Parts: sequence; structure tokens; C-alpha cells
Amino acid sequence: MCCRERKLEDSYSFKVTSFQVINALNPSKPFYSGECVHYMCRCFQILGEDVHVLGFESPETQVCAGLDSSCVQKLHFHEGFPDPLGWKCTSSFTVDQFTSQHITQLIKDTQYAKASVLVVDSLSLVLRHHDPVVICQRLQELRKGGVIKTVIGLLHSDLHQQGVVGIVGHLASTVISVAPANNERHGVAKTTRRTKSGKVMQEEEYFSVSEDATLSVQAKLRQPGHVQKEQDVSEADPTSNLTFNLRLSEEERKAKEKVALPFVFSQEKKSALLRPTPGTGRIMYEPDANDDFDEEDPDDDLDV
Amino acid sequence: MVFHSQERLQPINKTQRVTPGHLTLSETTQSTPVGAGGGLAVGTLLLVEEDRYDSYSRMLLKYFLAEGVVCGHELFLASARDHPDEIMQELPSPIVDDVAGMKISEGQSQPSDPENPDTMKIAWRYQNQPRVQTALASSVRFGHYYDVSKTMEPELRQAAKCHSFYQLQETPVTTESSPLPSPYHALLKSIQTVIRKEGFDGSTPQSKVRNVLRLGLHSLGSVLWGDDVCCKDNPAHCHALTTFLYALRGLLRTSLSVAIVTVPSHLIQVEEFGNRAVMGRIIRLSDTAIALESFRGSEKEANPLYKDYHGLLHVRQLPRLNCLSCEVPDTKDLAFKLKRKQFTIEHIFTELLSSALLVLTITAGEQQE
Repeated sequence: MCCRERKLEDSYSFKVTSFQVINALNPSKPFYSGECVHYMCRCFQILGEDVHVLGFESPETQVCAGLDSSCVQKLHFHEGFPDPLGWKCTSSFTVDQFTSQHITQLIKDTQYAKASVLVVDSLSLVLRHHDPVVICQRLQELRKGGVIKTVIGLLHSDLHQQGVVGIVGHLASTVISVAPANNERHGVAKTTRRTKSGKVMQEEEYFSVSEDATLSVQAKLRQPGHVQKEQDVSEADPTSNLTFNLRLSEEERKAKEKVALPFVFSQEKKSALLRPTPGTGRIMYEPDANDDFDEEDPDDDLDV
Repeated sequence: MVFHSQERLQPINKTQRVTPGHLTLSETTQSTPVGAGGGLAVGTLLLVEEDRYDSYSRMLLKYFLAEGVVCGHELFLASARDHPDEIMQELPSPIVDDVAGMKISEGQSQPSDPENPDTMKIAWRYQNQPRVQTALASSVRFGHYYDVSKTMEPELRQAAKCHSFYQLQETPVTTESSPLPSPYHALLKSIQTVIRKEGFDGSTPQSKVRNVLRLGLHSLGSVLWGDDVCCKDNPAHCHALTTFLYALRGLLRTSLSVAIVTVPSHLIQVEEFGNRAVMGRIIRLSDTAIALESFRGSEKEANPLYKDYHGLLHVRQLPRLNCLSCEVPDTKDLAFKLKRKQFTIEHIFTELLSSALLVLTITAGEQQE
């Protein structure tokens, strides 16, 4: 397996509760999004998770192609593709059924009770036919509901207003923006991950997805003009190249340690002196307004 | 703001009288040279425009609440995204001067022996002193310091009375008669109930020591509050947030309470919507308004001028309480840095740097000639 899958396991240790893939490509090259979904399903199966896919844009055959038969049991595909709006009543899942109650019921019906992963392919279709405020609230209900551990949504950012993309991105704890790189075979992925404590981690990588859903991460993108500092070479030893000797030989070191120091008391006397006595002279100092120390200007005489 | 004359006024828990008629609450960002003037006035509203990833604005909210816990004030926390209990559990731990306690416990449990690496051979008299002198804690100035790397002890946190409002768990109420959408209406009602019931508006007799209510409202204006001001150019409830803030400030003025409201302004002021007036209105409806701009993820991160800081702090509005004008600071170039034990806000001297560069180029030119 490629290194990217190991990274996904690492991201799991961060307890990702809502996760998003945003597709920023032009519509003529949609293959990145489909392959990302395919790859994501494969990853979760390797990790042994139950995956529910709400497929509005890709058929089941495309998403499940190449997956091991043993893992297919844990993949539950809810076909919405041929008829996402329910005009001909041929789909098992339509866009109107994207509510927290319906999805929770769907998950509870299909498998034994275990927190699972929900992949939505794609959120764009849902957002085009419903109020974005309502959809965001439903996503929040799903996230806090307890039945679903992780929600992954695919969003075509070129199909929505900047405001809508912004609010959905703000709701997610991780956002991956995917775009084509200069080289047609590769894409560039910018990942922004927010932790509960407020830390933000950002990464930018090249990637490509092959025919058998293997994702390979080529290299980290370097900012042009950003000079990579070399690792500091071990510091020069200051005691070398001197006209006098500052080092100790083994015997000299032993002799030094044997020297009896003044004021070295026995253990009992030390403990007796260290025992805290009431009313020891403790200096209580409260800095007032005049004592505003500036480390760079301790005498306060620089004419800045 | 109702304030009685000096003789009748009872002492109110952990507040300080700065000017006649003003009570201020301590604010933990002690090094701020401008703005609150050393504290937040009771009865006012502080608006914080969130940074892009809501890390520092959330930190400010937590500082505000932690200060309330330490001072013994009552808290009201409302949130739509994370449960208020989760936010309360993340409050930073206050730094207390506990040297005496440490000394006694160390002396008893850990006898000094030669094998112990902490035993000092020559300076053994200083053995039981704490390794780092926490000068911060020994000060008894107005306010406290917090250690961000540790969370507050549960006993300390639970000793404070906290009312919470979690939007997800509230049942939607039909509000045909109210100009506000359901979540804001419910929140306002909840705040009003707490103020009345706990007597912050003076309805209960003044027998006990009166206390102050600190309100923390997280991310108002975001979609999770049912507000579409972030995603639409012409939102259906375009006056929802402004009406709410107007009503909230009315409640604050008639009670002993202070509110801090965080707003995701980066989602409201989106480029494609053009220059919207709504953000300006929101600022005018607050007393103090600041905006946090984090360097994370922006091109300013690589700017050498900003390398020591985490972001910029813009002061959008200063409070004008019981007076016509407010104190205007000399400079508005402020940058903040979140350190483990302090949230510092400092002036950055952009003019100095640019003028220094100007001098250098002139002298270089002269030498060439």
C-alpha cells in the first residue's frame, strides 16, 4: 500500500469527525473526484470500517470496481445515481431524503450497531436543491448524533457561490482542496486540518490516482522562493584549537570530584536546614506601573 | 445604565470602580495597552470578529469564561457548534502562587539523596524552590494569568454556576410575532430568564453580595444558528443578527452583566458579496469591537515583520460610555501572540521599519555617487 494510506490512519488518530474533499477542478476533468471517492472507500475498508456511500453522481459499479469481495460486505452503497431527484422513482435514495433522521435510520437498518463512516458523493447536488443553512444544520446533527463517526462530503466548489463553499468549509474540521497541477497526470491537494485545541495544520502535496485506485503522493510542494534552511551542523567544540588546555582527562576528573567542598554538611544537617520554618523571610514584590521592564532596554534610556 | 449614588451602592463581587459610575470587570489580557482600559465595563458588549480558523477568538472566549470562574462570577455560555460543556472543559488553568504548598510536600516525600538527579551538590539550599519563579502569579493586580497548556481543575470549574444554551438541543419554537428567527429568539428568551431569575437586574432584594453575569455567545451569525447572512447576498432574515444584538445590549444595560460575542466576519464579508453594510451595523451595535486576523495560511506568515507574532488585532470600535468621545490610541497597529502563560498584544512599529529602510536606501545612493 502506498504511503498515503498510512497517513489516513494517522488522521484517524486525530478523531476526525467531519472531513471534506473539495473539488476545485474545472468540470471537464471530473475524474479526480470519482477516483478520490473510490480510493477513500478502499482505505476505510482496509481499516475495517463500515462505509455508507450516498451516491448521487457515480454508479455503484464505478465506485466498487476493484474492491476486494471480502470488503464489499462492509460497503453499503445507497444508489441515487440514475435518479437523484426521484422523478422516475427508480433510486433507492433521493436528494430529498438527505435528513439526519432518514440517514440515521438507514444506517441502523443495514448493519449491527457500530459507528460508521458516511461518504456523500456529492454534497453539491444536495446543496443545489435545498437551503444551504438547512443542509449545514443536518450535517451538524449527523456529526453529533453518535451513529456516524465521520462524514466525508465531496463538493464541487466551482458550482457554488463563494459564500456557500465558505460555510461548508467552516463547518468541517478538515478541508482538502484538490486541483490539477501543471502536469496533467498529477493533482495538487491542499489539506487544512483543525484540532479541537485550536491548532491548524496545513499541508500541500502532489498526488496521482492510478487505475487500481492506488494513490501515490509524489512530493510536498515547495513554495517558490522559500529557502529551505539546512539542518544545523553540530556545533563546533569551543574547547578545541586553544593554546591552553580546557579539557579533563579521566584521572583529573576523578580527582576533581573527590575534592571536599566547603559548607558540605551531612545529610541530617541539610534536611534540618531545608525544613520550612514559619515566617521565613519571603520577599513579596508587586511590580507597579514604573517597573515595566523591557528586556531590550533595561535602563530605559534608549531614545526610541 | 442604572447606578445609584455612592452611599447606597453595595460592593459587587470582584469589580473595580474606575470612573464614577463605571464598574469594570478584569480582563485577562493584561498587556493590552489600548481599548478596554484595563477591563470591560459592566453592561457592555464586546464583539470579536473571528480569525479564519476560530482558534484565537475561541481562546479569548475561554479566557473570558475562565476569569469568570476564578472571580466567582456566574456564567452563561451559548454555542451552536460544540456543546458548551466541551468548551468549559477546555478552559485554561489559572496560575496560582503555590510555592509554599510545593515546598512542604516535596520536603516530606522526596528525601534528597546522591542518586537523585534533582539533588544539588553546592546550591542545596535552593533545592526545594520551584524551578521557575512564577513572578506572574505573585502579582495581585486586577486580573489573573492562565496556563494554556493545562486545563482547569474540574473542582474549580464546577464551583462556578454556569448556564448553558446549546442550539442543537433546543426545540424550535414558532415565532410568528417575533422579528427574530427561532434560534435567536430562543437564545434571547433564555438570557432574559436567567437575568430575571438570578436577580441580575435588581429584581431580588440586595441582601446577599451581588454578582455579575458573564455571557459568552459563540459564533453568532453562522449557519448553525439558522442565519443565512453568511451564504446569501440578500438573506431572508437580513436584520436577524442586528435585531438580536440591539435587544441583547438593552438587556445588558439594564442588568449587571457583560457579554462577549464572536462573529465569523470572514464568512459574512465575502468578496463576491461586495462591500456589505451589515458588518458595519453589527459593529455599531456593539460597544467595543475588535477583529483578529491570524497569519496562519496567509501570505503574511512569511513576512519578516510579523515573525514574532501570531496575528494582527484590529480595533474596530472603542466604547463611549457616559461620554461623548472616547480615548483614541496613538497607533492602531497591534499584533498579538499567544504564549503559554500570556496572551500578549503589542504595538508593532511599521512606520519605524519603513522609515529605516528609506534612510538606508538614501545613504546607499549617496555613496555610489
